[in-house]
Amino acid sequence: MNDSEYQMLLVESWRRGLTPGEKARLQTFLAEQPERAADWERETALKEALNRLPDAPVASNFAALVMRAVERENKRTEPQAGESFGWLARWLRRPASGLAWAAALALLAWSGYEQFYGRPHRERAMELSLIMKTVAPEAGVFQDFDAIQRLPAADDEELYAVLNVSH
Amino acid sequence: MTTVPDPDAALMLLVKQGDTRAFEELVLKYQQPVMNLVYRTLPDATEAEDLAQHVFLQVFKSAHRYEVSAKFSTWLFTIARNLCLNEIRRRSRHPAASLDETFPDDDSQPIRQPEDVKTFSPPDVLMQGELEQKIEEALATLPEKQRTAILMCKGEDFSYDDIAEVLGCSVSATKSLIHRGRETLKQLLKPYLRSGEWKEK
Repeated sequence: MNDSEYQMLLVESWRRGLTPGEKARLQTFLAEQPERAADWERETALKEALNRLPDAPVASNFAALVMRAVERENKRTEPQAGESFGWLARWLRRPASGLAWAAALALLAWSGYEQFYGRPHRERAMELSLIMKTVAPEAGVFQDFDAIQRLPAADDEELYAVLNVSH
Repeated sequence: MTTVPDPDAALMLLVKQGDTRAFEELVLKYQQPVMNLVYRTLPDATEAEDLAQHVFLQVFKSAHRYEVSAKFSTWLFTIARNLCLNEIRRRSRHPAASLDETFPDDDSQPIRQPEDVKTFSPPDVLMQGELEQKIEEALATLPEKQRTAILMCKGEDFSYDDIAEVLGCSVSATKSLIHRGRETLKQLLKPYLRSGEWKEK
């Protein structure tokens, strides 16, 4: 064993116990390297010391408290992620849903605008069609319009006189 | 069909589907290792216990994000360490604030109750021997990363890759952290580490 192999075994010994083969090779190496032997002894003592560290205290109801918190967490999220609307709740939590919300709001705003400003136009059109129906003469009235218009222009007074005589 | 060699990962898959019994199994298995880490990062038994409970609650809440490719214990310890670091940062900003203020609107936080009989009474156990106290003190002087690396390295549960993942650094950096931490500990505990002195008195 050389020094780099020793270093590798040292690093491995921090994490796990050495195999009998590794121990035997190490003993041979340390017998020839007294300064490494002292170093190894301190390493072993430190490892023992760390292994002697007691476990941290854990309350016997630790798991029960965690499970109670989990239960509360489940209850808190259940109404949102309930059976039929769970997909909706999950979808609403997605970032892309923000964009969808913005689109929906824009649609709503446009529809409101249309409702407010578009109405007078429609109403005016309806009123006009009503006037046309009631006030404007029938299409037959204009049947002889062109012929009448082509008659030679007469003095109104003369025409009036002719009409009076005929009556 | 995907196989799940890690039994904890298999339990987490059940938790993802809402199985609270599987989650309880994980809590029971990992409550001690998590407490060991949290307690030595926030050395106050009550606060450490509250935080450890939050760690598990956080695990439950984040279950949908868990990927089987990640070793469960590594994922769990990453969450535990992050919550500890958040708490340390918060304390440095508001030294007088209690842990309850960390989650002011979180009504799902565990209720602190008069606890049942504890498996250990922390100060008593720690004071059982002067040597244990000395090593606790020595560990407390280490930078957080060195201490966490040494504590995780203590058992055989974590590989160097796992520790590196939790610490968010490379494997060689992790080994270097452990080496430096151990050197400091050896210096601080020199009088106690002489051959034969670290024995049961």
